[in-house]
Amino acid sequence: MTAAAWTCLFAPAAAVLAIALAGNRLSRFGAGLVASGATGVSFVAAVVTFVLLLGKDAGERSQTSTLWTWLSAGDLRFGAEIAIDPLSVFMMLVVSGVGFLILSYAVGYMHGDEEERRYHAYKALFVFSMLLLVQAGNLLLLLAGWGLVGLSSYLLINFWHFRHTAVAAGKKAFVMNAVGDATFALALFLLIQEAGALDFRSTLGEGVLEEGSTVATLVALGLLGGAVAKSAQVPLHTWLPDAMEGPTPVSALIHAATMVTAGVYLIARTAPLFEAAPAVHDLAGILGAVTLLLAGLIALVQTDIKRVIAYSTMSQIGYMFVGVGLGAYGAGLFHLMTHAFFKALLFMAAGIVIHALAAEQDIRRMGGLARGLPLTYRAFLVGALALAAVPPFSGFFSKDAILASAANAGALGWALWAAGIVGAFLTALYTFRLLFVVFAGEPSPFVREHLHVARFEGGLAMAWPVGVLALLAAVGGLLQIPGVWHAVDDWLHPVVESIEEAGGVTAVVSGVLALAAALAGIALAWALYARPGERPALLRTRYRRTARSLERKLYFDEAYDAAFYEPSSRLPLALFRVVEDPLFLRSLGGLGSGVRDVSGRVAAAQTGLVRSYVLALAAGLAVLAVVFLLVS
Amino acid sequence: MLGPGIAAYLVLSVVLFATGALGVLVRRSPLIVLLALEIMLNAGNLALIAFSRQLGDGDGQIFALTVMVVAAAEAVVGLGLIVAVSRKRVDLDVDRLTALRG
Amino acid sequence: MILAEIDAGNVLAWVVWVVAALALLSSGLAVVLFANPFYSALALIANLASLAVLYLLLNAEFVAAAQVLVYAGAVVVMFLFVIAYLGGRADAPWAGGPTLQAVAAVVATGAIAVEVVVVIALKAGDRLSDTAALDDSFGSPAEIGTLFLSDHLLAFEVTSIVLLVAAIGGVILGSALPREHRAEGGRD
Repeated sequence: MTAAAWTCLFAPAAAVLAIALAGNRLSRFGAGLVASGATGVSFVAAVVTFVLLLGKDAGERSQTSTLWTWLSAGDLRFGAEIAIDPLSVFMMLVVSGVGFLILSYAVGYMHGDEEERRYHAYKALFVFSMLLLVQAGNLLLLLAGWGLVGLSSYLLINFWHFRHTAVAAGKKAFVMNAVGDATFALALFLLIQEAGALDFRSTLGEGVLEEGSTVATLVALGLLGGAVAKSAQVPLHTWLPDAMEGPTPVSALIHAATMVTAGVYLIARTAPLFEAAPAVHDLAGILGAVTLLLAGLIALVQTDIKRVIAYSTMSQIGYMFVGVGLGAYGAGLFHLMTHAFFKALLFMAAGIVIHALAAEQDIRRMGGLARGLPLTYRAFLVGALALAAVPPFSGFFSKDAILASAANAGALGWALWAAGIVGAFLTALYTFRLLFVVFAGEPSPFVREHLHVARFEGGLAMAWPVGVLALLAAVGGLLQIPGVWHAVDDWLHPVVESIEEAGGVTAVVSGVLALAAALAGIALAWALYARPGERPALLRTRYRRTARSLERKLYFDEAYDAAFYEPSSRLPLALFRVVEDPLFLRSLGGLGSGVRDVSGRVAAAQTGLVRSYVLALAAGLAVLAVVFLLVS
Repeated sequence: MLGPGIAAYLVLSVVLFATGALGVLVRRSPLIVLLALEIMLNAGNLALIAFSRQLGDGDGQIFALTVMVVAAAEAVVGLGLIVAVSRKRVDLDVDRLTALRG
Repeated sequence: MILAEIDAGNVLAWVVWVVAALALLSSGLAVVLFANPFYSALALIANLASLAVLYLLLNAEFVAAAQVLVYAGAVVVMFLFVIAYLGGRADAPWAGGPTLQAVAAVVATGAIAVEVVVVIALKAGDRLSDTAALDDSFGSPAEIGTLFLSDHLLAFEVTSIVLLVAAIGGVILGSALPREHRAEGGRD
């Protein structure tokens, strides 16, 4: 079993090395096959691990496997160790499974790109990093994976390095993530001080940190900072929409299905630390609720097909944060899984649309694509229904699980529940706005001119992963049905204990209300966008100010610009003008020319006349003799 | 000891030394500068021999002989330089040899 | 009291000393003052010869002989050869009236001479009055040779190396032609 788990971890790393070392000897297509094949091996290994764990008793499913001592400093020892337990295996399955599908899709999507090999190597590097993150057996190794996914995300966002916007987006993502990495690292320092180690057993046990103490709060805040940055939650969310500059499979894998959900995994993994700091734990849920509302609102007015889905991702991760913030870890991770399915599906369907329309991403130029791309339309529809949480598609069950848990978590729970219901309405509205604008009605002039449909609408390589994901998005939710069975909760039970969901009437009312909100959103979207009309434009003119601030993403970028960028770029300029230039640059120049002046004059004494030198010697001797005379 | 005491020799030596130094300082012909240098060296030798006699120790004479050797070597090199300079069709005037001007 | 000590040998020694000292100083001045280097070189011979006489008075017979042989016989002859080779170009008449440099030189050298004389007269006179008694071998070639090959062997050997280097240097300086001559087909 440990062998399988290590295989799962190292297969993508081997693929990176193979692609990097083989260079031109490996064809571009071959590089894609190596990357996706290695991820497939990872998935098989994850399944083997899962099946072997399934054969054990629930209490014996957690174990650690150490290969060697990775770092040692004084009394501290950190092994290269992986944790094999239900939580990590759950994440391994999601990461390697969805990763395999997306890497296979990418072989088709990136076909013909000049730097395809580099792309596939980065992609495999990302899968390795993500697996390291979820399999790490101690928090330090987890941090290493955490940083590595940030790195590979950066590399992939500006993969098209000739685009200035892509490079800027990559830098932005890296810097925002670095803020989170820093708070994460600070939390680990505090933990080392308190617990003397970073392995899960000694840090996540009972009573490591006193509940409600300052240290516990600081540790939890640090971890939350890391989680918020990586998962693009308010206030560190601004990098995610810009990250859509990367190739679409990157958006699907990193910025929808896996990396951005790492924050949710982190909170679930370090649940005891958060439970020791209830205020921070609640804060996680509140931030999630704020994010899901803000992102939902902003998504309503975005016009770039990938950005709409990106804001939707933020919003859905907000739901997961609500879940794990309230202690409903099973529900949060369940939503993580279904979200990975349907969001990857939506991105990949969007990728097919973008491919078919000569890289056009503006939905205002699209329309009526259902006729030209019927299979894609159906896949997108499945994803949209799952995202909008319409039963029996997967999103309904996972979102319902979060809402039902919230309904059983006291006053704060009810507040977050209300936000979730509003969010469900917004989700349905923006999702179906996107669907109707892109696919419904008559083909737009742009579409008529540029639509180019390949066999299977994007080629077989792109079509089959979409089909598989559509299937998963449709039925994946049946794993756990609130009030009926809780496969995910039960599986995760040995690692994290979720709170009880509301039962009985409350659960039914909650589910019905969520469904009603979703249907209302769909209906409104149908009324506004199903046929081209004046109503959206009218609404926009009536609420011009609101619309504009939403289109400017609520001015977060501008605020950060004013708060951080402007001062830090003006301060050095001012310092240069006031301090450095007069104090250092000019004084150095003055010193130099002064020395040159003086030495020019001193050089005049070097006449080159030997006689004058000798005279100086003789005169010196005469003076010296006088000195001797006086002294002796 | 016959004749005047050591002090007389030393006075003679220093006057001779001053004469040689004067020659080095005021003459511009490198040849005469070299000759004056020889005088200075010999003034030193005279003092060495005088002290050797005063102390009854032969080491001073050894010193004087060594100085002679050095003087001979110096004369060889100095004269060689003078010949080399004269081949360059440069005036034999130490005040014109100012290539080392700073 | 001084007269009482005068005997015939001592008087002769005084006379020789005075004559040698006068010859020494006057020939030294002549070396410095002659305009023609040829005369200067000749005056140097006289200078060296009178020095050799003084050495004899100081019981340094071997050094006196070496002085005459090495200096007067070899070094000065070398000077004369070079002066003859250079011909008229070697002449260096006085530049004229005393320049500042010349005045300063006279002052400096005069000061040195006066100071040392004052030191000898005032401070060291007493200590210089009594001289050591000598045995017969003092200053003889045998004793010099013994000293050179025992206590001062290193200096002796180093001296030979210095001479060798000087000889090589002299050959190189004397034989190296300026570049333009070489280009015209001169010796390599």
